[in-house]
Amino acid sequence: MPSETFSYLPPLTDAEVRSQIAHLTREGLIPGIEFAVDPAPSDHYWSLWKLPFVGRPSPDAVLAEIDQCAAANPTAEIKLVGYDSVRQGQVVAFVVRRPG
Amino acid sequence: MHDYLTAGFAMHQSLSHWCRDKGMLLHVHRAMHAVMDRQKNHGIHFRVLAKWLRMAGGDHLHVGTVVGKLEGDRASTLGVIDLLRLDNVPADASRGLYFDQPWASLPAVMPVASGGIHVHHMPDLVEIFGDDSVLQFGGGTLGHPWGNAAGATANRVALEACVKARNEGRALIEEGPRILREAAANSPALAVAMETWKDVRFEHATVDTLDVTHAL
Repeated sequence: MPSETFSYLPPLTDAEVRSQIAHLTREGLIPGIEFAVDPAPSDHYWSLWKLPFVGRPSPDAVLAEIDQCAAANPTAEIKLVGYDSVRQGQVVAFVVRRPG
Repeated sequence: MHDYLTAGFAMHQSLSHWCRDKGMLLHVHRAMHAVMDRQKNHGIHFRVLAKWLRMAGGDHLHVGTVVGKLEGDRASTLGVIDLLRLDNVPADASRGLYFDQPWASLPAVMPVASGGIHVHHMPDLVEIFGDDSVLQFGGGTLGHPWGNAAGATANRVALEACVKARNEGRALIEEGPRILREAAANSPALAVAMETWKDVRFEHATVDTLDVTHAL
């Protein structure tokens, strides 16, 4: 079931995810990773994978963390989120891994 | 949805408070604005009406689309969008902003683009309105030959393709048609929508121009 931004496009490749992470940090947003197993559309709160990043992580560092999350949670969907420190909330969210 | 000009200022203010109390989203339409904002000598330009709406309270406000069937001068529409969304709006006479306007933390309003817009307008709309906006495709959805669901899907695919391309640093205006063609390769619904709307253009000069000469 499509959910979040980019869900109507073909699954993003690693290169495309890297490009989106680079844009997110360029905009001054803070990346974070969330995961959930078989989430319903009404499940707004997914589990955090570790804490959101601090500073301005490289796209490769974020991607490596996504892979770790996927390895630990093979049946979960994994979402990349972006926090805005001024507006105090998530302003970006898209699914980067879907099982199967 | 509420028409704040036809309903009247006092009624809109009451409704705005009511919606805030009830936690209800207030979508604001601007029917009758053209009667007020076209007169250069004694009218009220829409950017003033938009500022008033932000102060009175509302979540969405229809503004000019620049593209599409309803008109809107590009520069002044960009000025109106800034007035609705930014905390600090610097003076820029070319956009009709004659002095710095600090809004402090007054809540922002999302601009709404609506009226004769279809998938081919998507690169322009994403470039003009950016994030935190509402793009309303009425006929641009229902006119899809495969039905409403396919129309909605086509618009969504076009929007996501444009946002993705923008984030990757591609120039939306120059590369727009190519970005849509690439997206349509994976979406039959978008390919059909692009074929349906390919010759639908609205090319007319705007009447709601800024009167910069008299203001400065």
